[in-house]
Amino acid sequence: MFEVFKKELKELLRDKKTLMFVVALPVIIFPIIFAVMAFISSQAALDADQKVNTYVIINGEYAQEFTDKVFYHKSFELYKGNKTFNTIEELKAGVIAGDIDMGIYLPSDAKQTLNDEKQSKWQVVFNDSKSINFLFERVKELAKEYSDNLQKEQLISFGIDMSAHAALLNPVDVIKVDTADKRENLGEKMGGFLPYLLIPLVLMGATYPAIDLGAGEKERGTLETLLLTPITRTELVLGKFITLLTTSIASTTITVLSMGCWVALALAFADLDVIKTAFSSLAVTDLLMIFVLLLPLAAIFSSLALAISIYARTFKEAQNYMAPLSMGVFFPIIISILPNMELTAKTAFIPVTNVALAIKDIIKGTVDYTFVGLIFLATALIAGALLAFCVKWFNREDVLFR
Amino acid sequence: MIEIAGLKKKFKLTKDHKKNKVDDIDPREDKDYFHSVRNVSFSCAKGEVLGLLGPNGAGKTTTLRMLSTALKPDEGSITIAGNDIVKKPLLGRKSIGFLSGSTGLYGRLTVKENIEYFAKLHGMSKKDIASRCEELFSMLDMHKFIDKRAENLSTGMKQKANIARAVVHHPDVVVLDEPTTGLDIMTTQTVINFIKGLKEQGTPVIFSTHHLDEVALLCDRVAVINEGISCFDGTVDEFKKAGNSDELNKAFINILTEKHDV
Repeated sequence: MFEVFKKELKELLRDKKTLMFVVALPVIIFPIIFAVMAFISSQAALDADQKVNTYVIINGEYAQEFTDKVFYHKSFELYKGNKTFNTIEELKAGVIAGDIDMGIYLPSDAKQTLNDEKQSKWQVVFNDSKSINFLFERVKELAKEYSDNLQKEQLISFGIDMSAHAALLNPVDVIKVDTADKRENLGEKMGGFLPYLLIPLVLMGATYPAIDLGAGEKERGTLETLLLTPITRTELVLGKFITLLTTSIASTTITVLSMGCWVALALAFADLDVIKTAFSSLAVTDLLMIFVLLLPLAAIFSSLALAISIYARTFKEAQNYMAPLSMGVFFPIIISILPNMELTAKTAFIPVTNVALAIKDIIKGTVDYTFVGLIFLATALIAGALLAFCVKWFNREDVLFR
Repeated sequence: MIEIAGLKKKFKLTKDHKKNKVDDIDPREDKDYFHSVRNVSFSCAKGEVLGLLGPNGAGKTTTLRMLSTALKPDEGSITIAGNDIVKKPLLGRKSIGFLSGSTGLYGRLTVKENIEYFAKLHGMSKKDIASRCEELFSMLDMHKFIDKRAENLSTGMKQKANIARAVVHHPDVVVLDEPTTGLDIMTTQTVINFIKGLKEQGTPVIFSTHHLDEVALLCDRVAVINEGISCFDGTVDEFKKAGNSDELNKAFINILTEKHDV
C-alpha cells in the first residue's frame, strides 16, 4: 500500500497539470484573481463616487433652497446644452439619449402644496441599471436636508421650542444594544463565506488527481498490469485513496496559508481594521478544529472521486462524471447559509452542510464542541462507508473492464 | 507446468447492447449474457512455447486475462505447478508474468522507476531488485534509456521496458497477449528473441498471435479457440495433420471451419 502511495505521489508531483491545480492555482492564481477583482470593484466604486453627473431640474424655483443644494454639490453639474426639458417624458428621453444623467421633476404646485402642509411628490429620472450608482441616494440626502429644514421652520412657526423638535418628530427612538461581540458579528458574515472557499478546494484537490489515478490508469493501459501484482485490491485502493487525501488536504492547506500570507501582506500596507479584528480573534485551536473537520470531508470526496474515476473508461469520461459532483457539493453549502439555518443535533448529520455550519460557528466563536465531535464522527462514518464501497467497486470486473 | 481445464466466462449484456442486438448473429449471446469463453482447455509444460490461436473475438484475450487472474472464471480450473490459482489468485500473480500489446507504462516515471515499482509490488528485496534490473537491462540492451521518462520513449523502447516489467519477478509462467501487434521488424525481433530466451531457461510461455510465421518459429504446441471453445490442442505437427496441410495458414483455416460441440 505504501509503495502504491509513494509511486502515485511521485507521479503526481511530476505532472504539470496536477501541480497547476494543487499548487499554482491556490498560491498564485487565486490571490491574483481576488486582488484583481478587489481592485476592479474598488476602482468602479471610486469612479462612481467621483463622477460628475449632468442634471436638469424642472420647476426648481418652487424649492429654491433644494435647487441650490443640488447646484453646489460636487457630484452634480447643471445641463448647459441647447435642449429644453419641460415634462417628465422629455426628462426620460434625455436620460435615454445620454444628454443628461439625471432629471428632477418638481410639480408646479410644489411650494403651494408644502405651504398647505401636504406632502409633495418629486420624481428623479435616471438609469438605475448600473451596478454602482450613487445618484438617487445623493438626491434623497439633499431632499431630506431640505425637508428637515422645512419641518423645523414649520415647528418654529407654530411656536414650538427647538428642544422639543426631536421628541415631536421622533417620539420613540429605538437604540440597538447588541450582545454579540465584534467576532460574532464578523463570523456571521465571514463564516458563511469561508465554507464556500474551503469545501470546493477540498473537493478540487481530490478530483483532478483522482481522474489520473483511476481513468488515467485505464487509458494508459497500466491498470491491468497493476491488477496482476500480488497486492490485494484493498491495498491498491488504500494506496490511491491516501494519495488523494494527501493532495486534497495539501491543496486546501496551501491555499489557506497562501491567503493568510497575502492578507498579512495587505494588512502591512493598508489599514484594514475589520480584517485585522477578524483575524486576531481567531485562535490556533479554531484553525485546527476547522482542519480536523475538513479531514473526513476530504476522505468522503477522495472515495467518491476515486470510485467515479475507476468507473470511467477514459480521462474525458471521468471529467464528465466529475462535473455533477462538483456542482452537487455547492447545494449543501447553500443550505448552510439559508436564513435561520443553525447547527443542531439534526443538521449535524447532514453531510457537507454540517461542516459548513460548524466552520461558521467556529469563526463566530459560538461553536458547541459536542457538535464538532458529532460531526467528525458522522462524517468519518460516511467516509469509511464510501471507502468500503470503493474497495468493493475495485473488485468488480464490470467496473474495471467496461 | 500450467494446466487449464474447462474454462468458462460470461459477461452480462448492457442495456444498450440488448437494445441494439441483431438477432442470432453470435451463438454465444443469450438473453442476458455474452458467453465469451465456453469451454477452453490446454496445457503448457516446462520449456514449452504454446501459441494460442483464434480469429478476432474468439475469446483469446478473455482466456489470457483469466490466466493472469485479472478475470475470475465462472467455471473451470487453472493450475500452476499443482496450485489452483483461481482459488489462490495472489499466488497466481506471483507466478505469472503478463504482457500484452496494449499494456502501458507510467509515463512520468523513468524506465528504471517503472520496473523497480513493479518489483517492489512483487515483494522483492532492494538487493534482488538491483541485480535483477541490471540483468534485464543488459539482456534487453536498455542501458541507454533506463533514466528516460517512459512518456519520451519510442515504441520499441517501450516494449523492451514492458518485457522487463513483465518478467522482473522471475515468473514461473509467461503469458503474452499479441505481443508483436503494431511493432516494427526490429522490435518484433526483440520480442521473439526474448521468447526464445525464456524457452532456453525452461519457462513455459503462452502467447496469442495472428502471425503464424511466429508460431512456426517459436512454438512447440498450438491451441486454437473459436467462438469461445477449444477446437485444437497439440504439437505443431499434430496441428498440420489435423488441418490437412503443411502450411500453417491453411491448416488453421481448415481447423476453424470444422464444427465443434460445446
